[in-house]
Amino acid sequence: MGVIARLASGADVPVFPVVAAGGRLAAEALRLLPGVRVEDTPRAATVLVVVGRLTRALLHPALVVHDQLPQPRATVWMPIGVDEAGDPEGLLSAFPSVTTVGAGDTAGLRTVFADLVSGVRASDSPALPDMEPAHWRGVGPYGHGGAGMTGGVPFGRPLPARAPDPDGLELDQLPLQLGPLHPGLPPGLVLHVGLQGDVVRHAEVGANPYQSWPGDPAPGPLDTATFVDALRLPTPVADLELARARHHLRWVAQALRLHGLEALGLRVAALGGSLSPTDRCTVQAVTRRLAGSRSLAWATAGVGVTDGGLLDGIETRLETGPVRRAAGDTGDARSDDPAYQGLGFEPVVHQGADAWARLRQRLAEATQAMDLAERAGMRVRDPGPALEGPRGTIRLDAAMPSTALCELLPALLAGSEWGDAVTTVASLDLDVEEAALARSGSAPASGGRIAGTPTGSGHQNGGRPGAGAR
Amino acid sequence: MAPFGAALAVVLAAGVAVLAGRWLPSSVSSVAMTAPERVPFLGGGLPEVHAWSRYHVRYYSMALLFLAFDMEMVFMYPWAVVFVEEGAIALVEMLMFITILVLGILYAWREGALRWA
Repeated sequence: MGVIARLASGADVPVFPVVAAGGRLAAEALRLLPGVRVEDTPRAATVLVVVGRLTRALLHPALVVHDQLPQPRATVWMPIGVDEAGDPEGLLSAFPSVTTVGAGDTAGLRTVFADLVSGVRASDSPALPDMEPAHWRGVGPYGHGGAGMTGGVPFGRPLPARAPDPDGLELDQLPLQLGPLHPGLPPGLVLHVGLQGDVVRHAEVGANPYQSWPGDPAPGPLDTATFVDALRLPTPVADLELARARHHLRWVAQALRLHGLEALGLRVAALGGSLSPTDRCTVQAVTRRLAGSRSLAWATAGVGVTDGGLLDGIETRLETGPVRRAAGDTGDARSDDPAYQGLGFEPVVHQGADAWARLRQRLAEATQAMDLAERAGMRVRDPGPALEGPRGTIRLDAAMPSTALCELLPALLAGSEWGDAVTTVASLDLDVEEAALARSGSAPASGGRIAGTPTGSGHQNGGRPGAGAR
Repeated sequence: MAPFGAALAVVLAAGVAVLAGRWLPSSVSSVAMTAPERVPFLGGGLPEVHAWSRYHVRYYSMALLFLAFDMEMVFMYPWAVVFVEEGAIALVEMLMFITILVLGILYAWREGALRWA
């Protein structure tokens, strides 16, 4: 190995995660691994890490991203919740070469990276066939097209159609499919947006890539697994509340990363990852610091306001949860829960209904959860039909809160700038895999589409099952 | 002849540098990208339309700011010339003028003219 190769292989491994079914927690944990750098774009990454069980709907986006990694590149699979043979359909064989590495196995990742940069391992060849989407040259000597400046099909793609603007102009609107692997959106979320400049004119939620097909294993493990399990099994209240605080801290870490406060986000993520009942004062300090942050308030106040009956106007009912309580609603399933009687539980409520209120709401709930965990002692909650999860009430026979949160998106995002749209989506704390969890009595989620989202134009890529890949 | 020789050498060297600059990168980078490798990153999606698009630059807010600051500068040039002669009165007058302009900007700000979306 030459000097340059040895120096290069000592660098942090730049990875781009593909968050497949059940892989959300492990993908977030990648950020905390020493010697691994999670990149926000495949152009800066060297190793594509598929975390969890790949689904058919995720295969084509993953192959597109695979080809967007510059050479030399490698593909690694971290199986989560499935054994090493957990790819019964052989979806991973669509990649040129895949190395299986255990979750959190930094040494394995480093070996792949070092072999790659030293030339021991060959770089992955492209996974998709080298075909232009269409013959690139339009009419005319420069292929720029037909009549005037806006005719033709340059580089095989038509020019965007026009749409009205609030100022009374007719301006081009770019129809884009963002996700399911966009680092600014929750993993798996597919947004079909119409962009004028950086203003989101309309947004629809596309097909859920985690939707189970007949014969697929169950989704998960979900990030709210502790709460879902507590519907059926007796669970200590202290465990539930610690899991809630951990969940909110994980969310805070993601939100901080999206606001450019990556180092602070990593510290909060590390605190959430190793949270113990003795960390009450630390959580309180984090809450105080962030709730008093003027820059965060400036970036999130007035963004993504859920007023005017928006929360009641969706098809799936959002009973409780931080999004409701940040809008002044006192509903909380813990108020009627016998396990919480006598603990002095009072629902935390914020006013404002915007992203800033939701941030402070979750911080306050994390602190409250630490208090409750301390006071609960050895108290055990008996299984019951309804439970307050970190996103809202979880019931055995109803849709998960994320289903309702996904339905909020079209109305919330229309008319906002792209940066505010990212803030809004993050502030809802939705989990697409949780939304794919079909429950008896819940809204029909068949057809691979999240219930309640309109079907319209611009969905050509929505349900493509990756048939074009080999 | 000597000065012309030096100029000729510079021109020749520049020509060689330009040619080398064009030839070297393409000869070093032997990797040709396939069509899917050239596609912009959209988080797994593919672009449906070309990125040539006209968007609203919102000149209104820019025009407003330009007017506010440009009128101030137009007035400040002659003011600077006579400032020493006039003394404190000129300073007070300019402060009054700027206060009126700032009120205009604050009004535009409150009305949301500086908002992009």
